[in-house]
Amino acid sequence: MSRKLSVVLFAMLVLAGAMGLKTAVSAPGNPAVVTATGAPPPGPWK
Amino acid sequence: MPGSVEWVIWILSLLFEGAVVVCSLRRKSFRRYFFLNLFMLASILVSAGQVRVLTHYGRFSLEYRYFYFYSEALLIIVLYFVLTGLYLKVFEEMRVERYVRLGAVLLLAGTACFTYAVVSQSSHRMLTYFVFELSQNLYFVGLVLTYVLWGAIVKLKETRALVVQFVLSLGVYFSAFAASYAISNLRPDLYSYVYRLFPIIGCLLPLAWAYAIWRVPEDARLAPARLAVAPR
Repeated sequence: MSRKLSVVLFAMLVLAGAMGLKTAVSAPGNPAVVTATGAPPPGPWK
Repeated sequence: MPGSVEWVIWILSLLFEGAVVVCSLRRKSFRRYFFLNLFMLASILVSAGQVRVLTHYGRFSLEYRYFYFYSEALLIIVLYFVLTGLYLKVFEEMRVERYVRLGAVLLLAGTACFTYAVVSQSSHRMLTYFVFELSQNLYFVGLVLTYVLWGAIVKLKETRALVVQFVLSLGVYFSAFAASYAISNLRPDLYSYVYRLFPIIGCLLPLAWAYAIWRVPEDARLAPARLAVAPR
């Protein structure tokens, strides 16, 4: 397998893993958000 | 409005972020860790903006909500580039910069496409919803990428103390927020307590990076474990 194909496969695996992880720890209608600064969140998004 | 403890933590966080940039400039390593310093500078600007909007409009106002989610999305994108920069550092001896950049762009584009596919069902305020979802998805992509990078560091026996310190502190930071997110989802009644930890967790990353840039020399290497002498 060429290096370019390996990179594409790696990106797809990481994306699938990340979305799987997010789905595993999420619950519908929950107000939790992840932040980059730690500032007080304004409350539920929706 | 945040309480006095939250204000103190927030100011400390700003000081640590400023310390990272100042120490980098003093060590003349600003360009070497450009995205890391850019993230710290962007964090300072965003924090200042958040304070301004928060004190002016209040925590539950629409203005704060929009500013918060848009600025967080911007910061998470910069954090993604920080991670890409660390990948480039770890793999620089293998001369695969081209592929690392290609992978980073593909992954960012893939995450954006995936997010668009999810939010395109909602026609109302689609751009804002897209920005919010993209930041949340990129956060989890960053979390997975950090663990993969740590695996690569262990496998490649990376000994540069500064790079190891950066990656480890990023891992702790991502994991702490992900854990708080997971706890909030498992026990929604605890969210009102968990979100109070956010400023403390947010403080840890600039603190760890400031310490690393201030105390760890650029050429410092981690001492390899002692070799065991196997009896013949």
